[in-house]
Amino acid sequence: MSMKNTPYNLVMSGLMGGRKGHRPPVGNPTSIVCQGLMDACGVSFPQAHLDAQAMAELALAGHEVVGFDTVMPEYSVHQESAALGCVVDWGGRDRMPDAKNFPHSDFSDIQVPENLLEKPSMRVVLDALSILRKHVGGQVAIWGKVMGPWTLSYHMAGTQNFLLQVGMGEKEKVKRMLRQLMPVTISFANAQLKAGADAVVLADHATGNLVGPYTYEEYLLPIHQEITSLIGGPVILHVCGNCMDRLELFARSGVDAYHFEWQVDAREAVRKIGGAISLVGNVNNPRALLQGTPEDVYEQARYAIEAGVDIIGPECAIPLATPLENLKAIVEAARQGY
Amino acid sequence: MEDHVETVRKAIIEGRHREIEQLVQKAVEDGVDLHRLIQEGMIQAMDVVGRKFADGIIFVPEMLVSAVTMKKGLELVKPFLKGDGKSSGRVVMATVRGDLHDIGKNLVIMMLEGAGFQVTDLGVDTDVESLVQKVRELNPHILGLSALLTTTMPEMARVIQALEEVGLRDKVKVMVGGAPVDQKFATQIGADGYGKDAAEAVELARRLVGA
Repeated sequence: MSMKNTPYNLVMSGLMGGRKGHRPPVGNPTSIVCQGLMDACGVSFPQAHLDAQAMAELALAGHEVVGFDTVMPEYSVHQESAALGCVVDWGGRDRMPDAKNFPHSDFSDIQVPENLLEKPSMRVVLDALSILRKHVGGQVAIWGKVMGPWTLSYHMAGTQNFLLQVGMGEKEKVKRMLRQLMPVTISFANAQLKAGADAVVLADHATGNLVGPYTYEEYLLPIHQEITSLIGGPVILHVCGNCMDRLELFARSGVDAYHFEWQVDAREAVRKIGGAISLVGNVNNPRALLQGTPEDVYEQARYAIEAGVDIIGPECAIPLATPLENLKAIVEAARQGY
Repeated sequence: MEDHVETVRKAIIEGRHREIEQLVQKAVEDGVDLHRLIQEGMIQAMDVVGRKFADGIIFVPEMLVSAVTMKKGLELVKPFLKGDGKSSGRVVMATVRGDLHDIGKNLVIMMLEGAGFQVTDLGVDTDVESLVQKVRELNPHILGLSALLTTTMPEMARVIQALEEVGLRDKVKVMVGGAPVDQKFATQIGADGYGKDAAEAVELARRLVGA
């Protein structure tokens, strides 16, 4: 029996380890917005962070202009932190948003507002997902995105401050903050699924460049297991950096897929956890997509496809100056089939 | 007699920040050679920490705690030094404009200070003009630039260009670092060196000042 080769079917089958279509799907768990894409659809930052229609249109351009099989309308890591009291500078055409303060650097208790999902930075994502659902639901895979409690803790306490407490062994303090933030991740994820997302990306930056696998295992693995059991749909974990040393831990976290970086060799990743969860990735951003040629990108995408990566895409949110042609080379590589 | 230098060295490597002051205090009271305490007990300890970090044995939390531990110890010793602790060199450090990430920069600063450099930290989101101004004012041996984002990397090239335009480029060595930066990029923008982590940055700084 053969599968209908629509973007939606290819992506969701790849995500769930199902049948293969006539080519591998192309997906973006993180932003693929670059200046070329903003020009192509006439919507740009910061508008696309703040207005649901603009947000949805820019996401749609990833499918219509570049040819990706997914649409993902969240381009910043600050939707939740803005709702939790961070002052966010939403940036501009050539600058990603950034938070200007750490409201809980003293590790004081975090009160999640009752109307969390109605805060503008949260509502905008939910509304954009619903707009996308109306336009391409069932044809193109719609992905949402939420920050996990580890990333949210960076935003609440300051990354260095938070990591210092981890290093000092302030376990109770660290775990309390993670626990207080967990409901934000869970409720936003479930709201996104209800608003129209087919799957959600769980971005939680316990990356290999910052913390050891033992830290992930002690602090975050149990929390990820709890979160994934409470999210009512497919979950793609995104943790950047070289995470080769913790792939097996990610595979035990209850997620359906892991989105990984070029630093992790695709063949090794497939060998280690390809049987347990799906893999999404891992075309290099700075060297291939930003500074390389379409041929460089094509070659890396083919390497990932041949290694057995289930869904092909950039390793992380792409630099805004990425040439559109380089982004299209990923799609070109996938069109060559398996 | 107990080997104070070795005790302090171990405490810093292991990040025993709650004990360090007591250990250093005792070393000072027992009349240990302060320069040996700093050189072998503290600077060498941070070298070991830097290597363990580069080898992926420890990570940022552990490194931060070791740096904090060393700093606490060093503060205690400082008042006993009679102005003869010679500096390895002056360094100005900054994260470039548009970039608010400072952990990498801070780790490099902690390691440089550990290695005896005098460091002025200009913080994050530092624009080209204030960098040039500070180089003029402080006349450092080295200017260290950091960026975590691929979007802010080009700022580094702008800083070097600006230094050239005002005739300061020959007066200062420029070293660059940060996750997306590599040797190729450093060479391309005309930097004097690139360090892939804090330990390499210290090695590089030592080389650049000819130490």
